[in-house]
Amino acid sequence: MRRPLTFAITILMILLFTMAAYAGVPTDTVQANVNKVLDVLRDPKLKGESAKEIKKKKLRVIYEQMFNDVELGKRTLARNWNSLSVAQRQEFVILFRQVLEKAYIDRILAYTNEKIVYERETMISGNLAEVQTKVIMASKEIPITYKVILKDGSWKVYDVNVENVSLVLNYRTQFSDILAKNKPEQLLEILRKKVKGQ
Amino acid sequence: MPQKAVPSMKSYLFGVTLLCVVLAAGCAHKPAVVSDPASSAAAPPAQQVMAAPKAEPSPPPSPEVSVKAVSGNLDDYQDIEDPDKGKEVEKVTIADPLEPFNRAMFQFNDKLYFWFLKPVAQGYSKVVPEPARVGVSNFYTNLSFPIRFVNSLLQANFAGAASELGRFIINTVWGIGGLLDPAASKEIDLKKQRADFGQTLGVYGVGQGFYIHWPLLGPSSPRDTVGIVGDIFLYPSIYLGPWEVWAGARVYERFNDTSLRIGDYESLKEAAIDPYVAVRDAYVQYRLNMIKHKGGPPPPGVKGLLENN
Repeated sequence: MRRPLTFAITILMILLFTMAAYAGVPTDTVQANVNKVLDVLRDPKLKGESAKEIKKKKLRVIYEQMFNDVELGKRTLARNWNSLSVAQRQEFVILFRQVLEKAYIDRILAYTNEKIVYERETMISGNLAEVQTKVIMASKEIPITYKVILKDGSWKVYDVNVENVSLVLNYRTQFSDILAKNKPEQLLEILRKKVKGQ
Repeated sequence: MPQKAVPSMKSYLFGVTLLCVVLAAGCAHKPAVVSDPASSAAAPPAQQVMAAPKAEPSPPPSPEVSVKAVSGNLDDYQDIEDPDKGKEVEKVTIADPLEPFNRAMFQFNDKLYFWFLKPVAQGYSKVVPEPARVGVSNFYTNLSFPIRFVNSLLQANFAGAASELGRFIINTVWGIGGLLDPAASKEIDLKKQRADFGQTLGVYGVGQGFYIHWPLLGPSSPRDTVGIVGDIFLYPSIYLGPWEVWAGARVYERFNDTSLRIGDYESLKEAAIDPYVAVRDAYVQYRLNMIKHKGGPPPPGVKGLLENN
């Protein structure tokens, strides 16, 4: 009679411990990726204009590990996703990534030594979580929340909220506004132009 | 950039007339409140009080547009089974029956920013060093304490009201009349509340109605416009002298704030596909969140349920 009890307790302990560890994984993943970005930005060997392209290249690699492009694109288009053909979806995902890169890369490269605090992690469901962080600057603090999804064993970012404004929702409104009056092909054309910098 | 309804001359004229009315009314609306949603610098969003889709900003040549391999798994590109995410779209959008007028005003504010506000703020920031400008900003923030205090009370956010009162006393006494913000230091850690009358109305269930993009003031709604007017009466300087003094103080505040945020609006505009819609959406998201989470971040878990997307 004793044995099964010990067994059950052991199992319970293991479960509890693994769950505790599990709860921290989204934050750990986000933090590890953010730290990688910071390492690139702070690298003393990569100073000056000439190193900008090298930095960008390195950041692109980290971005791919950190974000799930497809999930991000899907959630941004939401119900409009289905009105694109599979080929259009593929192009959209790549174009959207380039739009985001163009839009935010300079801001990221301009990062100086702000402190980042990891505040709280919230499990939304088994495979969705939110990691709340804060960037502390001289005159203000900016809350940034990463929404992450568990895909193929690792947590990937699919939305970023800055000051409670969701990137995905913000673009969703813009895209659905365009798609209400235009065909998917025209949306892609707008994005192509945007990426080309016109 | 999408080809949007070109604001008709008529709506432009209407806008200009309206602007004159607003100006004549002694700037009855105070910029500060608007820059409140704005005080969120990094937010690509709300910040931008003055905004407008300018033709095509010609940004630098982009990274390779070349055909890249497909991102992710092919399987990931299947139809979405339950496109019911649309529900949320309803939640965070706003009716925009005045769109042509609003777009014209957006354009107007955009020009105002690039042709006037920004150059002046840039010149000003060359003369006045940043710490001094942060001090001025703190001073104005301290001065508008009654707005945050009273509205926190009205929203039954007593912890927030207490924190604001503490901040006001500490910063006035030990912060050289509000120029410094010792209350926000690590040791004291009293956070500035975000509370205004538009938010209070929202907390009591008043809906946002529809979107209005005011000249000078930027994104708003009927509810938030009433809120702006209500908050004016909680702003001390209105009782201290003739309205010109008050208006002058507000204009100076605006320049000072702008000088601390040069670049935010530009990058918002650069990031947006349709800057007008981007600003509108950011404003709506920001305000809805402020009302939902009055007095600070939501308790863990609740937020997830509310915005599960």
